[in-house]
Amino acid sequence: MIKMINDKNSQKIVDIIQNWSRKHSIWVLAYGTGCGAIEIPPTMTSRYDAERMGVRGAATPRQADVLLITGYLTTKTLKRVLRVYEQMQDPKYVIGFGSCTINGGMYYDSYNTIKVLDKYLPVDVYINGCMPRPEAVLAGFGKLQELIGEGKANGATKYKENLEWYRANQKKVIPTWKRPEYNW
Amino acid sequence: MEKIKANLIEHVKSSFPEASATNHDGNRLDFTVKKECIPSILTNFKDILGYIHLSHITCVDWLEEGEFEMIYIVWSPEDKIKIFVRTRVERDNPVMPNIDMIWRQANTYEREFREMYGIQFTGLVGAEEFILEDWDGPPPMRRDFDTEKYAEETFFHRPGREDALDVREEIIKRSLEEIPDYAKKYSR
Repeated sequence: MIKMINDKNSQKIVDIIQNWSRKHSIWVLAYGTGCGAIEIPPTMTSRYDAERMGVRGAATPRQADVLLITGYLTTKTLKRVLRVYEQMQDPKYVIGFGSCTINGGMYYDSYNTIKVLDKYLPVDVYINGCMPRPEAVLAGFGKLQELIGEGKANGATKYKENLEWYRANQKKVIPTWKRPEYNW
Repeated sequence: MEKIKANLIEHVKSSFPEASATNHDGNRLDFTVKKECIPSILTNFKDILGYIHLSHITCVDWLEEGEFEMIYIVWSPEDKIKIFVRTRVERDNPVMPNIDMIWRQANTYEREFREMYGIQFTGLVGAEEFILEDWDGPPPMRRDFDTEKYAEETFFHRPGREDALDVREEIIKRSLEEIPDYAKKYSR
């Protein structure tokens, strides 16, 4: 059996099955930053019912697959978000939600919110809008599922490979780094 | 209402002759005092006149005059009158008397003023850090703090799209609509 999996063609089949099952059970961490978290309850509950697509809430970072950054992210929250993201188990994905994560949105001149999320965390899918409606959120999840199915949602790998670059950016806005260096 | 207000002004004037009163329409009354009088006049309102509720403390930055204005708003459930107690404090190195022994909740307000405006309160107990974490810039709510410049220096910014079109010019091309003068300055 192990020999068969190590075979290149068999690995492909295993990947297809793995990706298929991963994309149909996206568990979203119940963690909201900024105002966008208010769009999540209608997405999850009976009207839009994201659970029919396998999207459901997870209570702790260690059980979750997707981290939603819903709206503006202050430097103070960024510390907590990094802690949460690094606790999550592989496979893990990040969705940037709302225009604040893309270019700062209406907080473009704020003194304590970051403007470009993908300098600090590897973002797989961006959903634009201020705020995105539940339809847009579902479309974003659909896009993420597509990427997972094709094996292209590899933000976590990118983070591992470029950890030094991400750390340097993070330390630029977090001057007193009080927690231990993360060890993969 | 006016009778209560007149009585109030008379009472305050007898204890604090320097205080100047301004009557406003409705249930509002303003007193302007020196900053040293703040604890005593607020104690007077709370213990003698029955203004037991501290609604709000707020700060106005008068940059051109080089002063901060502190405003304490107190409310009486019996008189149903809001009293604004105003005072001025110099802008460089501002020090205010502490009032958290009169109302404990004032402690939270004062810690916020210390962080956001850099106003020191004598004998204020509480952690130096309140909302901002490891902040090393100037107090951010002061009017001479340029947030846009600070954000430009501190954070990354995404460059705009190169193929972005001017929305207004596109609208004109398609609909023969004219741009009003006031909107022209927003065009690229």
